[in-house]
Amino acid sequence: MTRVMVVDDHPMWREAVARDLGDAGLDVVATAADGAEALRRLPAARPDVIVLDLQMPVLGGVELTRQVVAAHPGVRVLVLTASGEHADLLEAVKAGATGYLVKSSSRDELVDAVGRTALGEAVFTPGLAGLVLGEFRRLAVAAPPGGNDGTPRLTDRETEILRLVAKGLTSRQIADRLVLSHRTVQNHTQNVLTKLQLHNRVELTRYAIEKGLDTDHPG
Amino acid sequence: MTTAQVQEWLVAERAADDTRLRWAVDGFRCVALLYACLFFWRDSQLYRHPTGGWLVLAALAAWTAFLVLRPDRSAPIRVADLAIACSAVVATRMVDDPVRIAAGASTLPAIWPASAVLSWAVWRGWRTGLAAAALVSAADLVENGGQLRDATLNNILLLLLAGLIVGYAVEIFRAGRRDLARAVAVEATTRERERLAADIHDSVLQVLAYVRRRGDQVGGEAAEIGRLAGDQEARLRALVATGPAVTPEAGDADLRATLGALAGVRVSVTGPAEPVLLPVGVAHAVAAAAAAALDNVARHAGPQAAAWVLVEEEQQTVTITVRDDGVGMSAGRLDAAAREGRLGMAAAIRGRIMDVGGSVTVVSAPGEGTEVEMTIPRSGPPTTRDEDGMIR
Repeated sequence: MTRVMVVDDHPMWREAVARDLGDAGLDVVATAADGAEALRRLPAARPDVIVLDLQMPVLGGVELTRQVVAAHPGVRVLVLTASGEHADLLEAVKAGATGYLVKSSSRDELVDAVGRTALGEAVFTPGLAGLVLGEFRRLAVAAPPGGNDGTPRLTDRETEILRLVAKGLTSRQIADRLVLSHRTVQNHTQNVLTKLQLHNRVELTRYAIEKGLDTDHPG
Repeated sequence: MTTAQVQEWLVAERAADDTRLRWAVDGFRCVALLYACLFFWRDSQLYRHPTGGWLVLAALAAWTAFLVLRPDRSAPIRVADLAIACSAVVATRMVDDPVRIAAGASTLPAIWPASAVLSWAVWRGWRTGLAAAALVSAADLVENGGQLRDATLNNILLLLLAGLIVGYAVEIFRAGRRDLARAVAVEATTRERERLAADIHDSVLQVLAYVRRRGDQVGGEAAEIGRLAGDQEARLRALVATGPAVTPEAGDADLRATLGALAGVRVSVTGPAEPVLLPVGVAHAVAAAAAAALDNVARHAGPQAAAWVLVEEEQQTVTITVRDDGVGMSAGRLDAAAREGRLGMAAAIRGRIMDVGGSVTVVSAPGEGTEVEMTIPRSGPPTTRDEDGMIR
């Protein structure tokens, strides 16, 4: 059974999400009201998936994602937020979150998203796809010409798939339209996130080395 | 500081700057008056009409006192100031000895008229400064009968330079002030928005999203309430995520925000994390076209159809796609409808987009929904940002 931890500072939401997931047959092993509490409970709870809100007191969702991914690489992070703070969401995804849902999504959508996150699939909502497309374009514009500087770039196929996701097509519909297997579409979306996360890690390491912090933080 | 406080602060700063500049000019005016009086006291015996000279100086002193005591510097006062300065110069011709004038003696008000030139330079910058200097110079030439002696030429050049340089410096100073004010205003707006966004996130958005979700689960009438809450939630989320649609200075609008107003339970609006800036008029045309496309979805795509609006920014173009998962239509029907002019889409979307130099592609198939892709060229060079992230 999939072990899930729910992290949200809003008690109403924490309980509603935990109840819905429990009703759907998932094992809610812990809940926490902020990032710091989540980190304390993490070793004992050993969740497969953490469902977290972004804006929380003490330790926010972005920083929590960063620390979880660094210390417990097997744990998947799904962002469930009411906010539309694009910058935070993008940061969380770069830090290693593999999925995003808005809070108004239905119970079925939530359960489905947690299940897919547990399997290691990326959960791309249209909103996230639009943000990621924008981010790759921003990186491409900011990159020096020549193209051999490690700036991640999307292949034509990846761009095509991401645009279809952003326009609301499900991965099945995309597979049908592009005459690909469902699996292949999944792999492409996965690759897109991996590229973004790897680039983020490289950037952080480069920054650390520039600041002379590399001995403390080996990346 | 709130935005209103920033506005107050800006008005106060501006008034304080004007007062400081006025005091500087008036300080010079007083010293110049004293200088003119001392000069005339030493040389009054050489004048043809000493009493007339004293009367002119008394008038100048009265006017100087009036200006020092009265902070108002409206256009009529400045014009009067310049007229008095020129008259005092020309009056020298009536009270002084023609021989002395021909020999290039100093005018009766001496350097006092320069204070009018400075006042004009402070008023509207180098253009008014130069104009005032030219008028006083003309009065100088009238006074000495049009002889361009070296001393007169030097005086004229110094006056013109003073008007030009002081005016130019004041312009630079004011521009710097404006930049600072704009930076402060932008920062205040951003901070206010962040505070509001955090508040709204903690309260309203959470509850609206909860009502939407629970309403769906309960069903029936509650589902309708949930849908209403969900529409507002989507719109509010778009609003706090993007900030104001129009940046006050540049006349550009953030397309993500203008289109965000169209979001709802069945309509999701998606775009990059950074503002997508287009001139206000273009952004409104695009929003109206997108609204028309969504209207079309609501009318023809079927009651269960959902729609997605995607904003993409490339270097030369901005692309807006409106897609729905409704019943769609065959290519033949699409053309036929357009020919008959029956389809609101043809006029409302194409017309608006072509007006701003863009193009529209419509793709549809039965059972596949409809996709309207609008491409808008970005006129001029892409917006650049400086280190502070301020949009130029």
